[in-house]
Amino acid sequence: MSKYIVEANDVNFSYTIRNSTANSLKQVFINSAKGIGSDVEILATSGVTLELSRGEVLGVIGKNGAGKSTLLKLLAGILPPSSGVVKVRGSIAPLIELGAGLNPELTGAENIVLFGVLLGNSRKVMQENIELIAEWAGLTEFIDLPIRNYSTGMQSRLGFSIATFQKSDLLIIDEVLSVGDSEFQAKSLNRIDGLISSGEATILVSHDLGLIRERASKVLWLDKGKQIMLGQPEEVIDAYKAH
Amino acid sequence: MQGKGVGATYDSSKSELNLLRSIASFLENRELILLLVETELKSRYNRSILGLLWSLINPILTSLVLWVVFVTAFKSQLGNGTNFAPYLLAGVITVNFFNQGLMQSTELISSSSGIFLKIRVNPQLFVVANLLVNAINFYIGVCALGFISLITHADIRFTFPAVFVVGFLLLLMTMGSSLMLANVFIRFRDSRFITVILLQLLIYLTPVFYPKEILPSRVSTLVSINPLTSFLDVFRYVFSGTGTATAFDWAYILFFSISVFVIGLKVFRRNWYRSLVMM
Repeated sequence: MSKYIVEANDVNFSYTIRNSTANSLKQVFINSAKGIGSDVEILATSGVTLELSRGEVLGVIGKNGAGKSTLLKLLAGILPPSSGVVKVRGSIAPLIELGAGLNPELTGAENIVLFGVLLGNSRKVMQENIELIAEWAGLTEFIDLPIRNYSTGMQSRLGFSIATFQKSDLLIIDEVLSVGDSEFQAKSLNRIDGLISSGEATILVSHDLGLIRERASKVLWLDKGKQIMLGQPEEVIDAYKAH
Repeated sequence: MQGKGVGATYDSSKSELNLLRSIASFLENRELILLLVETELKSRYNRSILGLLWSLINPILTSLVLWVVFVTAFKSQLGNGTNFAPYLLAGVITVNFFNQGLMQSTELISSSSGIFLKIRVNPQLFVVANLLVNAINFYIGVCALGFISLITHADIRFTFPAVFVVGFLLLLMTMGSSLMLANVFIRFRDSRFITVILLQLLIYLTPVFYPKEILPSRVSTLVSINPLTSFLDVFRYVFSGTGTATAFDWAYILFFSISVFVIGLKVFRRNWYRSLVMM
């Protein structure tokens, strides 16, 4: 057994789009009749190799469209790599687009159970922790209302609270710290710091270089899907800035 | 502690969605499937006064409309002693299962992109859950059929428990078809409308409200090839003893449902990740 929580070995991800403009069958027929369109290969990630052990924080930086989100999906096992191998040992708490994936027709309490079970928890554990999760999100009095009545901020808080109410093995954070008011931001940052110091391996994607510099134990710089640099935070961030 | 299943160790070098592993994952994740079924039932019936009773009344009402329209035209042409009302109702619930199951489960897949883009979970579980809900609907419809048969003094044969097998095979076929179409629906937004029209055609080629015997031979061939026709023949035969269901019909639905199911799983896993990129 390796001690790493996450292992990625020369991970590449590419996909082909035929007729990138055709999103209807009609268009596909027209294009093929006219002879328009060819296979476009999109290389979203190439040559990423990294390891992450317990308690380590990996910061991922790069411009918009650098392939940061795709890399997160590869590491979370949502997309399979086209070549290379990804291994994750343990459970994942994904903090990606908080609130997305909750069912608007269900109440807060029902969403807590459903989302928790989707994340791999047992139904019993989730039912026992409804109050705890609701309380942290500051939603105790609204928890029996359908969440279509919630504001976006309330939904984000609920999503965050469900994903982080207990320790998992890998925490994936994609720009979510920019949502919510400053009080909620401080509160969630606090909880994340708690999870990190309890030994949870963490991947942090952010444009906030200060945030990354403060917390990351190593930083990965991506550009157009390529791994440009992986190393000490100071070193990589300085090189990225100079670029 | 984190539970098993979704949270367990992930290794990308092992395919997650091959045939046997898909079926194994249905069994492993039965807690999630059950929860999805409950959720679906709740969101479907929560805000209607009639609740689950609606599943009982809906096919009866549909059949009533068809009955009023077609009773004079077709009743006399049905075989001896065949009651038109149960004949209709059997057709309506069978066709509904396939039609609604297909449209709803594919819709569920494309509307759940928020989940699939952030959590590693087998999307086929959502299809299974939705089709179980539709199967419940189907069996409630069977109860309605029993009720209608009683008040119209139609026969109920002692072989009627075989309806459960028919329902299960229909579930397999609907699941396979849904999995084949789910990726197409995600990628091409007009494909759903085309499918609605094709499904309509398929339903008219199923003897829901007309007797097969009145068809001209060319159309009759088409109707016999249609697997829904065999499903319906077998259903009516085992439930009320009307019409005929040969060993060939049994073999046909068995072969069709299993192969569509297996091909559906295969087609789905070949195309799923490409759809996910586009979601």
